[in-house]
Amino acid sequence: MKFAIAVYSPAHSPASRRALLFAQAVLAQGHQLLRVFFYQDGVHTASSNVVTAQDESDTAAQWRAFIIEHQVDAVVCIAAALRRGVLNEEEARRYQRPAANLTEPWQLSGLGQLHEAAQQADRLVSFGGH
Amino acid sequence: MSTLHVLSHSPFSDQRLSSCLRLMGHDDAILLSGDAVYALAPGSEPWASLSSAGVAVFALAEDARARALPGNPAVELLDYPGFVELTLAYDKVNSWL
Amino acid sequence: MAKSMLIISRQAPWAGPAAREALDIALAGGAYDLPVSMLFLDDGVYQLADAQAPDAVQQKNLAANLQALPLFGVDELFVCAASLARRGLSHAALALAAQTQTDEQLRELLPRFDLVVTL
Repeated sequence: MKFAIAVYSPAHSPASRRALLFAQAVLAQGHQLLRVFFYQDGVHTASSNVVTAQDESDTAAQWRAFIIEHQVDAVVCIAAALRRGVLNEEEARRYQRPAANLTEPWQLSGLGQLHEAAQQADRLVSFGGH
Repeated sequence: MSTLHVLSHSPFSDQRLSSCLRLMGHDDAILLSGDAVYALAPGSEPWASLSSAGVAVFALAEDARARALPGNPAVELLDYPGFVELTLAYDKVNSWL
Repeated sequence: MAKSMLIISRQAPWAGPAAREALDIALAGGAYDLPVSMLFLDDGVYQLADAQAPDAVQQKNLAANLQALPLFGVDELFVCAASLARRGLSHAALALAAQTQTDEQLRELLPRFDLVVTL
């Protein structure tokens, strides 16, 4: 079966950790993960600048590792990202901001990618809030 | 089309559970995750509403365990593989974000 | 055949970007010609209240975005009657034409859609 996952809260939220564990279980059970779409505060997951305390679980790093290992299509909503200060090189240049903090494997794109994944998947499962 | 409703907010501080119960059909189910598992507190008002709603109730085992909530024969506790399977047992998943 | 989506918007208009971002999902779906409908529930019904003056708190008036919904093909807008009543809002005084739904009607509404997103 094909899954699409949407993440609405940042990496330090329990919801993000649950989303990651769910994504891992999807693959472990032999299902397909079409896309993970990051929206609202979920865009912070893609920030290269997240520094997690030593005694806390680094979910952002775990997301990154998971996406790279399984070549997951990880898309971050550009409008939500800009609003929250998560920019890649191109956007940092375009808006003349001093730093880019979104790099590979994350991709900036529009809500169309969320809709496309929702249309193609057998299930869209969203995680957010707390 | 049946819906699996996923909740993750505490029912004591939040309206999501009561709104969910208002909108749910009898073919639907609820999965409690995160702080929403506090709805399993025995003798509580949320548990009373939940248990009288006549719908299947599931909970993430790790969240119930983390909060030392007692086991409940009416509620199946799931691990993540079980969670994935549950999403396939219903036609769609609606998370109350 | 395209899957239909119901977006349930539960946040008050200026409780952060959530209301705007829920609308953006609807508008994007409409722009791609997907069958999208919206339900305003709980504090989300405040988005439809008339005579609001968001510039008093330097917030964006969502009315323009809301009014764009039918232009993008999102013309099925629902509002929860119980949520309106609880907040003392009358259906007649809403800024946008939305169909009021009783709880029973809402229970029959969700099964009609292939996808539901609740923000």
